[in-house]
Amino acid sequence: MDKKPEEPPEGVSRRHFLKGAGAAAAAVSVAQLPSEVQGSNGTEDEPTILGPGPVPIQLRINGVDGQTEAAPSTTLLDLLRDHQGLTGAKRVCDRGSCGACTVLLDGRTVDSCSMLAIDAVGSEITTVEGIGTPENLSDLQQAFIEKDALQCGFCTPGMVVSCTALLKENPSPDREQIRRGISGNICRCGTYQNIIEAVEHVSRKGGK
Amino acid sequence: MKPFKVAIPKSVEQASRFQKSDDSPFIAGGTDLLARIKEYVVQPETIVDLKRIEGMTGITSTDDGIRIGALTTMNEVATDGSVTDDYPALSETIMNAATPQIRNMATIGGNICQKPRCWYLRHEGYSCAKNGGSGCWAREGENEFHAIFDNQVCAVTSPSNVAPVLVAYSALIEIQGGEEKREIPAEDFFITPDQDPGREVLLEPGEVVISIHLPAKNRTKKWSYTEAREKQSFDWAQASVTMLYDRGGRKGDHRVVLGAVSPAPLRRDDLEKILKSGSLDDAMIKKLQMKIGDGSHPLSQNGYKVPMLRGLIAQGVRNISGRKEG
Ligand SMILES: Cc1cc2nc3c(=O)[nH]c(=O)nc-3n(C[C@H](O)[C@H](O)[C@H](O)COP(=O)(O)OP(=O)(O)OC[C@H]3O[C@@H](n4cnc5c(N)ncnc54)[C@H](O)[C@@H]3O)c2cc1C
Ligand code: SF4
Ligand code: FES
Ligand code: FES
Repeated sequence: MDKKPEEPPEGVSRRHFLKGAGAAAAAVSVAQLPSEVQGSNGTEDEPTILGPGPVPIQLRINGVDGQTEAAPSTTLLDLLRDHQGLTGAKRVCDRGSCGACTVLLDGRTVDSCSMLAIDAVGSEITTVEGIGTPENLSDLQQAFIEKDALQCGFCTPGMVVSCTALLKENPSPDREQIRRGISGNICRCGTYQNIIEAVEHVSRKGGK
Repeated sequence: MKPFKVAIPKSVEQASRFQKSDDSPFIAGGTDLLARIKEYVVQPETIVDLKRIEGMTGITSTDDGIRIGALTTMNEVATDGSVTDDYPALSETIMNAATPQIRNMATIGGNICQKPRCWYLRHEGYSCAKNGGSGCWAREGENEFHAIFDNQVCAVTSPSNVAPVLVAYSALIEIQGGEEKREIPAEDFFITPDQDPGREVLLEPGEVVISIHLPAKNRTKKWSYTEAREKQSFDWAQASVTMLYDRGGRKGDHRVVLGAVSPAPLRRDDLEKILKSGSLDDAMIKKLQMKIGDGSHPLSQNGYKVPMLRGLIAQGVRNISGRKEG
């Protein structure tokens, strides 16, 4: 992600913009208005209108602040994959019905396909890429390999994100708690048992 | 998705006025609305984002109960101490719903306003009594998960896990349209197709659900929420039974509300009367089981819901009799 400091688009002064945004300033200090919709943003009585064309969106992803341009109708998943090149989160059902697109929003698991990117503004987004890298795997990612917790691997990024969140909340989950923890992630290959073992393995070693 | 504009109002008044003038849907957690946009079932020019309006989230204790902001997530509601302690059926029903991810995103206001899951309704190619056409495809078609009660006009089931529990606690739904606020008892808020086939809740154009009030006087330690679903997650209930016994410690003040078997949560005062008539034993279970299917008109594929309800109410009676007083 591009690390440029926040800069208002031409013709919109930051001050004018924030004034118009009123209570919605939290949202828009990040999703700034393109100049063509400037007019609709001038008064206190009218909502701020974004889009339908691209707007600058500021997000904090894996600890790095950055800005990108996308239509406000873009889902967080599409923004991550298509605009940020972060293809760890997978697009499978695109309807909240599989968990392959799971990311963390302020530490909580969400289906990134089922929310708008602009609604992640102001939150800390963590994708599987932020949990570990091939050179520096997290304990859990290492355990997935050791316990053979994947076959095709398509569900794996989402599973890793959900299990990481689970271990953070509860470092020694029992089997039932692990099952509940991954109950929002479907594995088409049926590797659940090995995933549970991978989580137990990390938990026993006190890892994350 | 067809690109749309997002309106970010600064207040409920603004959201309300804007929505009323141009029929743009509200978006809260987005887990239901975005899916319908992706299916081209709705194709809004603009959606109105409620999430950035201040004061719409969180749970506050009041003299007479608790008030839950409509934009509070399902997970926040289910894990809040005042809910788990005082309104445990609400926490239980939420933890049974959807998936952990959806519960982290979905709001309680969105949950009670979500559109039904009828597969004809959610397919752009079908028009029926519910979306401005006439007739019902499900009645003669695929209706395994449809309603067995009140299903003459339209056989959708109320999809919300939260709805029947709110009815059982006699919750009040607090609504604002423009500057006007009003409160509607949950029992009246959820409506059936014969009242209006086009909507499921009693919201007028521009009206926003701002909060839900659970009255302290209806708390009880003798409660049960039982449900059945095909899959333990990623699914909607096929039938549920919420039971509150001796609400507020008042002998005989019971509620029995069925979920997922009719277009709106179905309060059964006939079953409440039976509960009043004796002790919570096997004879009582038999009587309730005999009666629970009364008034149902199962369709070709959903007759199983009647015996399912019998099983759920039996478990409900056992749950209540097993709970300690106070
Ligand atoms: C895989 C899966 C499984 C599921 N299983 C269950 C289940 O078992 N039980 C269950 O109950 N639900 C289930 N759901 C549905 C889910 O709970 C709902 O989609 C969610 O609660 C909707 O809330 P939201 O905030 O995301 O609403 P949105 O999608 O933002 O909104 C839903 C609708 O409500 C309207 N709306 C939202 N907030 C307000 C408000 N404050 N005032 C007025 N109108 C408003 C919107 O205009 C829209 O029409 C499931 C969903 C998925 C994807
Ligand atoms: S059940 Fe209701 S929504 Fe579904 S096809 Fe029939 S009329 Fe339409
Ligand atoms: S792709 Fe998001 S839940 Fe399936
Ligand atoms: S490993 Fe193939 S879907 Fe899980």
